[in-house]
Formats: sequence, structure tokens, C-alpha cells
Amino acid sequence: MKRSFGGVLLFVATFLVFVIQPVHAEDRPYQRSIVSLSIPDVVLVNQEGEKVRLRTYLESDLPVAVDFIYATCTTICPILSAGFTNLQRQLGDDSGRFRLVSITIDPEHDSPEIMKDYLDRYRAKQGWDFLTGSRADINRVMEGFDAYFPEKMSHRPLYFVRTGEAGRWVRIEGMVDGQSLLKEIDNTVNK
Amino acid sequence: MKMSEVGWRGSDCIQRLVLTVFLVIGLVGLAGGGAASAGDLSPEEILRQGERMYREGILPSGKPMQAYVSGDIPMEGTSFTCISCHLRSGIGSFEANVATPPTTGLHLYLPRKRTIEGFEHVPSYHKYATYFPPRPAYTDETLGDLIRSGDDPTGRSVLKVMPRYDIDDDDMAILIAYLKTLSPELSPGISKEEIKFATVIGPGVDQVASDSMLVPLEFQVSRKNAQAKTYKNNDRLARMAFNMIGPDLGAKSFSLAKWVLKGPPETWRAQLEEYYRAEPPFALLGGIVNGDWAPIHSFCEDHRLPDLFPITDYPAISDSDWYTLYFSRGIRQEGEAAARYLHGMYDLFSGRNIVQVVRDNREGQALAIGFREAWAKTGHPAPLEVVLKDGEELTPERLRKIASTKNPAALVVWDDDKSLPALASLGDLKEDKPGIVMVSGSFLGQSFWHIPEQARKLIYLTYPYRLPQDEARFDTNIKSILVGKPMADYDQTIIRRSYITGEVLNRALVKMRDQYYRDYLLDVIGMMANAVYPLYEGMTFGPGQRYTVKGCYIVQLGPGEKPQLERRSEWVIQ
Repeated sequence: MKRSFGGVLLFVATFLVFVIQPVHAEDRPYQRSIVSLSIPDVVLVNQEGEKVRLRTYLESDLPVAVDFIYATCTTICPILSAGFTNLQRQLGDDSGRFRLVSITIDPEHDSPEIMKDYLDRYRAKQGWDFLTGSRADINRVMEGFDAYFPEKMSHRPLYFVRTGEAGRWVRIEGMVDGQSLLKEIDNTVNK
Repeated sequence: MKMSEVGWRGSDCIQRLVLTVFLVIGLVGLAGGGAASAGDLSPEEILRQGERMYREGILPSGKPMQAYVSGDIPMEGTSFTCISCHLRSGIGSFEANVATPPTTGLHLYLPRKRTIEGFEHVPSYHKYATYFPPRPAYTDETLGDLIRSGDDPTGRSVLKVMPRYDIDDDDMAILIAYLKTLSPELSPGISKEEIKFATVIGPGVDQVASDSMLVPLEFQVSRKNAQAKTYKNNDRLARMAFNMIGPDLGAKSFSLAKWVLKGPPETWRAQLEEYYRAEPPFALLGGIVNGDWAPIHSFCEDHRLPDLFPITDYPAISDSDWYTLYFSRGIRQEGEAAARYLHGMYDLFSGRNIVQVVRDNREGQALAIGFREAWAKTGHPAPLEVVLKDGEELTPERLRKIASTKNPAALVVWDDDKSLPALASLGDLKEDKPGIVMVSGSFLGQSFWHIPEQARKLIYLTYPYRLPQDEARFDTNIKSILVGKPMADYDQTIIRRSYITGEVLNRALVKMRDQYYRDYLLDVIGMMANAVYPLYEGMTFGPGQRYTVKGCYIVQLGPGEKPQLERRSEWVIQ
């Protein structure tokens, strides 16, 4: 039986929608999900030694992305930070109009001075802050993001991007390349 | 030849010869000797430039290497150096479920198999091997391809976790030649049967103090030697040890040499050199001297000799030195904690001064430096300072006069137990009373328990240990190594510190999987998970971190005849 051209197109389209895309999604080296978060009302300290009330800070009018890193990490934190460097580079002079927040998971070591050096190393521009605090407060923040690591050596690569809906964030877990991260952020903040 | 069978007995001269051979082979081997400019360099210069590329991400031209992270994000190689993942030893790392394989010539130029030969049934080795898929041995060409493209010889991409680098042929020849010299032989102090350690005891050290340092170390040595003996004589226990720590470490015994120093510090270097020449150890464990640790610190740097946790209140402070791992930044850390605590309440000071009263001796000056430097980072006006000459009495009248004339919001007093009557008298003041008086628990010593009730609300202490009421539960750990000897015979802070040294060493050696390189010992400790130990509320490790205890409580003495210490701060004050 001769199959019509329209039928072939429908078959191809169906294949693309139901077969190709899911496989592609599963092949993605990261997972994306929408999560509801309750940010604890704690006061942290930034790389300048200034106090930052986290909840207020993250409820800014600016788009916000958060990651959890530490300054002497040898594996995934440098890659996460490269993602923020790349984002600021793409934003150019508008980098200050996107709030990037790195929160340490090694508050015993990461003092404001060390965090400032770290940001310099990654050519951070205005708009990217690195926060530390007491161990108890950092634990509360990790729990608030459902990203509690009892031990920094077993942490995971995570980005959080705030959506336009109160308390709702996009959670990106895994090694995400620069282009994909930009797309995910663009899709979230421009939705 | 198995690496565990390789002993290193060479002098520095022989080591240089080995490096030269590696470097020449490396340069000739790459691109048929086409690396003309690299070939013009001396072996020492190639080593220097290769090390700079590996450790700092700087090309021989002085420009940063160009890296591409996650395949497509351009970054300067200074942010993505080889050392940051493969570590100083080149043996690699394992963190956050990301395994970084070894990058030394010995590993790269051998095929990688699914298991580690001879260790197939040792769980830790077997698990480690499963993280790395098999691959053929690299050649200079395929290694260059990997670094430039991220594809290994099997076509597998590593770009998910490793950047690719733009490096031209000449510079690649230098980097590869350096990798061939990385951890080329096992470190001194290692043989098939034994790991040699040493410790340092300075002149004039109190006998109780040196015994308290030695007892836990000697316990670890004798326990390991008994285990090694059992390994040889008892099949059932040998199998257990085999499964837990592998055949290599299981069979090794330990030795601990005592390097007893005499005379003034300026003569110690020659004595250390003599001890080292006679019998170089794999690492120093602990050690104790009166005063600055700097002479031993610099000796260890020069000989690339690790020293785990010397007992000292005066460590060398450095952001870049590598070989001595300290408990903390010493007594100055209390001064730093005091400054950060007062910074946290600075808004309440309404612009009033802080006055720092400093006893002009080693303890007082170390505390004052710590306070001054940490306070300067806050950006507040510098504290006013009053220096007390060594031997000059701090009377109640003098301290009250300082309080009334300077009218400080906070009065910081770095002095010993003789200052207690003066400190106590401040509690009686009705006017011109500072809002807070800060003192050092370490400098005051046990006398702080006698601060009278009326002064307790005013006086805050720095306390660099876990609070006594919470520490008692760790007595069991210490009793387990004293084997019936009375605890009261030992200095409780020193014996606890030395106990920690033994525990950390044991954990590190198990994790090293027979890769006995001095740099790797420190790499492994840097990658350790935090653990709960006696004495300190927190010890946190991290790659390159050299002061593992970062905290210090600010406390006050509670009410009553048998007061407890009451916490007024977090362990780490930011």
C-alpha cells in the first residue's frame, strides 16, 4: 500500500514529538524541575563583609539565580561558577540587572576575604555576590532549598532560578553546558 | 613492576637526574622532536614552566592558558588549573561523585584496566577502579589530543567535567614533559615492609607535655605493628585486614623516630638536616617546641616533608605554603575571633572607641596581632592600644584608669592570670564602665574559673575548644589509648590533639591506596570528609586548607560556685 505524503509527515511529526524529544530529554546531562521553596529569614554576610538579609535579597525585583559552592572545591564548583561568569559575560553592561547569588557550603573556611578572592578569580562583575554565615544559618538555607549536604565533599551541582510565581523556582541539577544554562535561565525569567 | 614495590632512596642529586631523563624523553618523544623552542630550554626551566602551567594555568609566554569549560564556555586557565582537580601529586581526586583520574606519567602511559592488578578483591580499590573506564596507554600525541579536544583514545569525551585547552605544540611538549615527572617514584620513608615517621621535641619542653604528645602516636605505631604481625601470622585476621585496607598497607609496620633538638632555634636547622640525612621519614607526626614553629615549618617546606599537626600556639601563617598541616592559626586565632565578635555588635557602640591592652610578650602580641588584623578588615577605626611591659603589673587602679580616661565601648585585655584582680575590680565600677571586657581564655589559663560573680556579666572570654560540659564524652576515646594509665598524668589538650593526629593519619593512609607520595598524603587529607574529634567543636578539611580548626567560641562564666561556660557566639564567627 502506498503511504500518502501527508501520512508520512504525520508519522515523522509524531515520531519527533513522542520519541525524539523524550529521548533527548533523558540524554540531557541535567534534570530540570519546578519546586516550591521557603527561604529562611536569615542574615548572611557577603564578600564585602556586609550583612545581607537573604529572604529580602532573593525577593528582589531583579531576576535571581542561586548556586551552592565552596571556595576550595576541586570539581563541580568551578564549573558552576564558570556558568555564572558566562552568564555575566553574555549580559555585558547589564550584568548588574541580574542577581547571581553563590552561597557557601563551607562557612567555616569561606570568609568574606576568601570569597572576594574567589569572585575576582572568576572575573565576577557587579550583580554576583558570594554569601557565608554561621553553620546553623547555612544549614537552614540548604534545607530551605531542599539542597542539604551533610558534608561538603558529597555535594551536587545545583542551580536555582526564581520564576515569576512567588516561592516557585526552577531547579537545575547536573552538569549543564553554557548554552543550555543560558536557555534555561532565559526560558525561566522571560516566561 | 608494581608501584608499591618501588622504593625511593635517592638523594636530591639523583632525583634531578631522573627528572632530566624524563624531561629529555618527553621532549624528544613529542612530535618527533619538533618542539624546537621547548627543546632549547634546560630541564630545570622546562620543569619550572611545566609546573607553572600545571599549577597556575600560565603559559611559558606569561599569558593564561585558554580553557573552554563544559565544552563551550571560554575561561582563563588560571581559574581552571590542572592542579585544582588532579591535585598537586597528580594522583587525582574524588569529590561530589566526580572522580578525577591520575595524571602522572606513570599512570597515563600505562593502559587502564577494569581492576587494579593484585587488588581485585579489596572493596575500596575495586570501587575506585570502577569509576574509570578502561583505555589504552596514552602516547604523547593522544594525550595532547585529550587536553585539546576532550576526547580520550577510545573516543570518549571528558568535557562534562574537564575543560579543553588551547595549547600549541611547544607548550604542550612542556606540559607533557612535566606530567612525566609528576610523582615519578614513591616518596622517601617508604619500603615494602615499613613506613617511617618522625616527630620533633624541642629543648626545654615540659616532660608532661612531651609525654602527652608522644603517647597517642606511640599507641598508633604499636597498634599498627601488632596488626602487621597478625597479618603475617593469622590467616583469618589477615583476610579481614586485606578486605579493609588491602594487602600492601596491611603488611606494613610503622616506626616513629624522635628528633630531639638542643640549643637555640637558630641551631635547629642543622640538627634537623642531620636527622633527615640519617633516616628520611615519610612524614613528621605532631612535634612540640617552646615558641615559634617557623624553623621546623621552613625545613619541611624545603624538603617537601609533610608535618601533620604540630603542637604549637605559634604556627607559621601562610596562604601558600604546603607541607605543614596545623590545627589552627594558634593563639592569634582567639584575637581574630574577638575582633569578629565585636564587629557583630559594633552598631551598639555609638562610635565609642575600642581599647586593646596588650602584655608585651609572645602571647600578648600574638593575640593583639590577630585582633588588629581582623579588626582592620572590618573597616572600623583602629583600636586604641595600651602596652604593658613584660613584668609590669596591671593593677586594679591602672585598669580602672584606662577604663575611665579612654571610655571604651569594649575593653580588650590580653594578659595572663596576674591580671585577674584588676579584671575582677571592673565589676565593682558604677560609672565609666566599658560595655564589654574581652579576655583570652588560653592566656588567662585555668584562673578564669575564679572570675568573681560580680564581674562575670561584664567579662567575655575567647575559648578555642569544645565547652568542657560537652567534651567529657570524649574521655572514652582518650582512655582507650592510655590502656589503664591515669588521664590526670597528661596534659588534656595536648593528648587530645595528638590523638586526632593518629586518627587522621589512619584515615588518610587507607584512602591513599598504596600511592605513597608525600604530596598525595596532604591531597588526601584535604579531600577528607569532616569528622567529629575530641577537643574541637569542628575540624574541617578542604583542598589546600592548612588550618583545620577555624572556630573559637566567645563565652561567659555562668553563675554559682561551680560555674559552667555559657556560649555567646557560634563556633565560627563571620
